[in-house]
Amino acid sequence: MPKNASLGGLERAVMDILWADEAGDGLSVREVLDRLTDRDLAYTTVMTVLSRLETKGVTTREKHGRSWRYHPSSTRESLTAEAMRSPLDDLSGEERQAAILHFLTEASPDDLAAVREAMAAVETKGDRSRRRRGRGEDSAG
Amino acid sequence: MIAGLLLLCAAALLGAPHLLVRLEGMRHSPRAALVVWQALSLSAVLCLLAVGPVALIQPRPWPSPAAQLAVAVIAAFASVAVLLRLLMNGHHVGRRIRAARSEHRDLVDLVGRHEGARTRVLPSHRPGAYCLPGAGPRVVLTEATLAALPEDQLAAVVAHEEAHLRERHDLILEFFTVLHTSTPRLLRTDTALREVALLVEVLADRAAREEVGEVALGRAIVALAEAAGLADLTPGAGAGAGAAVARIRLLAVDDPTPVRSLALYTVGVAVLVLPPALTALAAAS
Repeated sequence: MPKNASLGGLERAVMDILWADEAGDGLSVREVLDRLTDRDLAYTTVMTVLSRLETKGVTTREKHGRSWRYHPSSTRESLTAEAMRSPLDDLSGEERQAAILHFLTEASPDDLAAVREAMAAVETKGDRSRRRRGRGEDSAG
Repeated sequence: MIAGLLLLCAAALLGAPHLLVRLEGMRHSPRAALVVWQALSLSAVLCLLAVGPVALIQPRPWPSPAAQLAVAVIAAFASVAVLLRLLMNGHHVGRRIRAARSEHRDLVDLVGRHEGARTRVLPSHRPGAYCLPGAGPRVVLTEATLAALPEDQLAAVVAHEEAHLRERHDLILEFFTVLHTSTPRLLRTDTALREVALLVEVLADRAAREEVGEVALGRAIVALAEAAGLADLTPGAGAGAGAAVARIRLLAVDDPTPVRSLALYTVGVAVLVLPPALTALAAAS
């Protein structure tokens, strides 16, 4: 698990570097390695990470002479937007609901009044369970 | 005829959801209510599966052996068809859900800020909070959520999501999703699935309420509903704003008395036991 977690962190760090590359003509494995200054990594590790990212479809590569140059395939913004959406379009609505559990979805502004009204009742009552617990402790003590 | 009795049971059970969704008082005991729903669904499936075997086994004075054979064959086919449909559908739904989660997990791991082992914060100005259950679970929030909610409300949201993950609410939803999508379109009701989804949210709300109290949790629901309303967030699946109102109202309701829960659990057991018992009774007479 820790190994996996650190690999995930490394993938993210590599993507950050690719996204930060403003020149836009891609980076070689060596260039990525040079920019990962806070870590002591082997060339092959970075190569592996980049090829994993390519398998996941988030980077593309082009041959320049004898080496590959890697680009991010989408901007961070568009991937973020994707991560905000419900997953995979080929899931049915029911399946989506079981795949990812949203805290809240689909609020229409018309219903906000009803939401606020319901909350007003809770506010006036306060934290009932807490008060009860508090009373319980008082009577015990 | 026994097979007829079984079909009757199944029909009653398929009709029962329409009745059950009206009993809003059941939401006060979400855990027991979910047991009733599960018992009901399971019982309906078992009835349908039993039609074939019962028709095959039951000796009856038939007008002709040919008629008996025909009925037995049809009943057996019906049972096998139900079983196959459930198994295949369960397999496909499960595989699609797991694939979607795994892909989505890769995505949030790449884009999101890693906050602890399994919390990810997406760099988005739209508020949102969700969890990815299953192997390698994740709680996903956005920077906008962190900015919008004070600490106690944020704790409420996280406690809610962690309860989903801890209690594996996704398995309950997956169970009902498989049943729902296996049921012919004419017979199934979206309301039943929505009710189950709401009960799952209420269950997580109860856990969060224990930890942070209903005021913080309620305020978090309002804040995110407001923000979502303004930002026009995530159309599609899940509990809607109607659900938000229901959830907030339920926050003020105390945990059910043991008697009440026990009564519901008893109903759940009865629903499971009754059809086989009726069948056995009819067979004996």
